[in-house]
Amino acid sequence: MDLADEVTQDVFVRVWEKLGSFRGEAAFGTWLHRVAINVILGRRKQLGIRRERFVDGERTIGQLSSNPKGAETAIDFEAAMEFLPDGAQQVFVLHDVEGYKHGEIAEIMGITSGTSKSQLHRARMILREHLDR
Amino acid sequence: MSDQWTDRLSDYLDGELNAAERAELEEHLSGCAECSAVLEQLRQVVARVQGLEDRAPDGDLWSGVAERIGVAAPVMDLDDHRRRKQERLSERRFSISLPQLVAASVALVVLSAGSAWMVSRTGSLAGEGAMPTAANGTALVSEAPAELATSYDAAVVQLQLILEESRSQLDTATVRIIEENLLIIDRAIAQAQRALTMDPASIYLKEHLAATKRQKLEFLRQAALMAGAVS
Repeated sequence: MDLADEVTQDVFVRVWEKLGSFRGEAAFGTWLHRVAINVILGRRKQLGIRRERFVDGERTIGQLSSNPKGAETAIDFEAAMEFLPDGAQQVFVLHDVEGYKHGEIAEIMGITSGTSKSQLHRARMILREHLDR
Repeated sequence: MSDQWTDRLSDYLDGELNAAERAELEEHLSGCAECSAVLEQLRQVVARVQGLEDRAPDGDLWSGVAERIGVAAPVMDLDDHRRRKQERLSERRFSISLPQLVAASVALVVLSAGSAWMVSRTGSLAGEGAMPTAANGTALVSEAPAELATSYDAAVVQLQLILEESRSQLDTATVRIIEENLLIIDRAIAQAQRALTMDPASIYLKEHLAATKRQKLEFLRQAALMAGAVS
């Protein structure tokens, strides 16, 4: 079972555990989405320590993309998303993939809207280098 | 190109700038090919990521979830789980399809007409045995011997009890159809009985009442059989 499947199971177990706290103030789907994001962010924090040993955000991506062997070993766009720095990656996924607004992302992640905007821009600027791969 | 401008490109793309900031940036973009190129690349990044498709799980994840929350035995095979669920449902419920209902209605009409024909042939209202059946053609009317009328009533009550006990085996629609049909038959019986009190010598009315009572008994028997078929 891969990590995504594990996390998906974690999400539904957490939903089961937290079901009593659902007060119906938001649509169930919205509530479930929030629970899922919290579970994912929690898991990423756990994995972050391990990731940092191998990856140093932009620097690592830059090294990979400028590999002298060229495009054969350069990471593609989807892989580049995986190697984005944590903060930028989370904001990027929440904004551009999941469609959350900066105010909502700020609330979820405990940051300011300004930080959310700058992290998003940072992620996009990194990924534009991998558009052709 | 400078950070002063490029840092605003994502906000511009997302419509986060106010009118004055947007106008200022657009003026810069009109004279800066580099910034325009970056803006286009950022657009492509957004389009690319929004075009990514969700990936479905490789297999059934429910078994792991069920195990962890302790609500059910793990489901190892989703298709097998669905098949077993369907089997359980079909054991709990017994429904009558529309063709079956039509066939039953036709059978009732034939039985009713047959019983009336036999009564008119024999001119006899009495018979042997506790429960009339299609085989012996026994008819029951108001003039029947007391013990026969009692056995008819007892048979009706017994069948109604069986049906009541088996009610949970039938689906709601079937129960409703049975009840509606019984109501129609009971009304017909009551009408025939009222008519007979006004014209006690009428052979036609006697035949009609006999046929209708027989129809009720047969209907109850068929319904009880259907309910009993799953018990």
